[in-house]
Amino acid sequence: MPAITNFLTRRGAALLASLRVWRATLELAGEVVVAALSPAVYNSATRTVVMKQIYFTAVQILIPFTLFAALLSFVLIQIVVSTAADYGLSNYALEMVVRLLVLEVLPLVTALFVALRSGSAINTEVALMRIDNEIDALEDSGVDTLRLEFMPRVIGGLLSVLSLTAITSVLALVLAYLAVYGWQPHSIPDFNRVMGQVFVGSVVVGIWLKPLAFGLAVTVIPVAEGLATPKMLFMVPISVLRGMVRLFFVLMLIEVASLAIKYF
Amino acid sequence: MPLRANLSLLDNIALIPQYRRNLDYATAAAQAWQLLLLTGHEGAALKRDPLLNHEERFVAKLLRAAIEQPPIILIDRPALLLPDTHYPPFLQDLLQRLADHLNDCWILDYRWNAPLYPPSLAPR
Repeated sequence: MPAITNFLTRRGAALLASLRVWRATLELAGEVVVAALSPAVYNSATRTVVMKQIYFTAVQILIPFTLFAALLSFVLIQIVVSTAADYGLSNYALEMVVRLLVLEVLPLVTALFVALRSGSAINTEVALMRIDNEIDALEDSGVDTLRLEFMPRVIGGLLSVLSLTAITSVLALVLAYLAVYGWQPHSIPDFNRVMGQVFVGSVVVGIWLKPLAFGLAVTVIPVAEGLATPKMLFMVPISVLRGMVRLFFVLMLIEVASLAIKYF
Repeated sequence: MPLRANLSLLDNIALIPQYRRNLDYATAAAQAWQLLLLTGHEGAALKRDPLLNHEERFVAKLLRAAIEQPPIILIDRPALLLPDTHYPPFLQDLLQRLADHLNDCWILDYRWNAPLYPPSLAPR
């Protein structure tokens, strides 16, 4: 009996700790969104830090990621177009390509890329800042850490996911046009008609909302996980691991919710 | 106060007046540049935190504290930030160069390190 009690106590404590981190994540997301929408927050220092963060999170990876996305799009477009031709469904190839790539694959791949590149770095940075008492030092000297440390990282991640998704999506559309119609401009009206069928009002709203949710997740979750790290150096890798697993879970949840809303 | 890893040394120093007094970047960076010139570390101005050596990082932190000319600056156990430097002469030189920009500056160190300090930084 004591063994069962101990087991249940341990599991219960772990569950409560996990729920506390989820609550902290949601609270942080709310605070960051409110701060980001408040013009008063953007003084000279915040603007400088936000601009640098955008550069390091979005601009620096623009070319390599765009090349990678072009290669991925090219391969997937070829698979879809040739498979559609095999089944006599060539008329639907373009629509299938757009629905697969622009609406689903590219936003998710972008979010995963930014999560692996910037999310893990943010988690590590915040965990180390907490362990070194740097967050306490900043707050003790009257610095608003939400405004100067966390909000710029969230804005950088958010803009990174949004801009990279937009750029790679446009690139995928161009590649899809070339794969389906070839190197000639006469089929642009046909292409536009298919785009009109795909991009109805709710889909356009979804195109913006999903990357926004992804962008918020890839930065807020690592920050919250970093802030929840116990003050012991050996806990940093565990914190990053937890943060990345939690982030992957949330990204998949957003993707599944988006699919369910779109197709059911 | 921690340095921001994705800002240069100059930007890290300029960030303080930008944050405290909402100075525009150009003015704040000019102030930071003047202090860097005084210390003789202007060569490190564009380096980011991971590329700074211990002395440059110490200078960055001191200038971040000094740029707003607070009534007192406390340097707490400098050896922690300057592990490979004979730090008392280094501190003496640095504080002399910044004399016009510092009000009161206190160095807190272990008693057994007192003999290391020159007379001008004599323990009190």
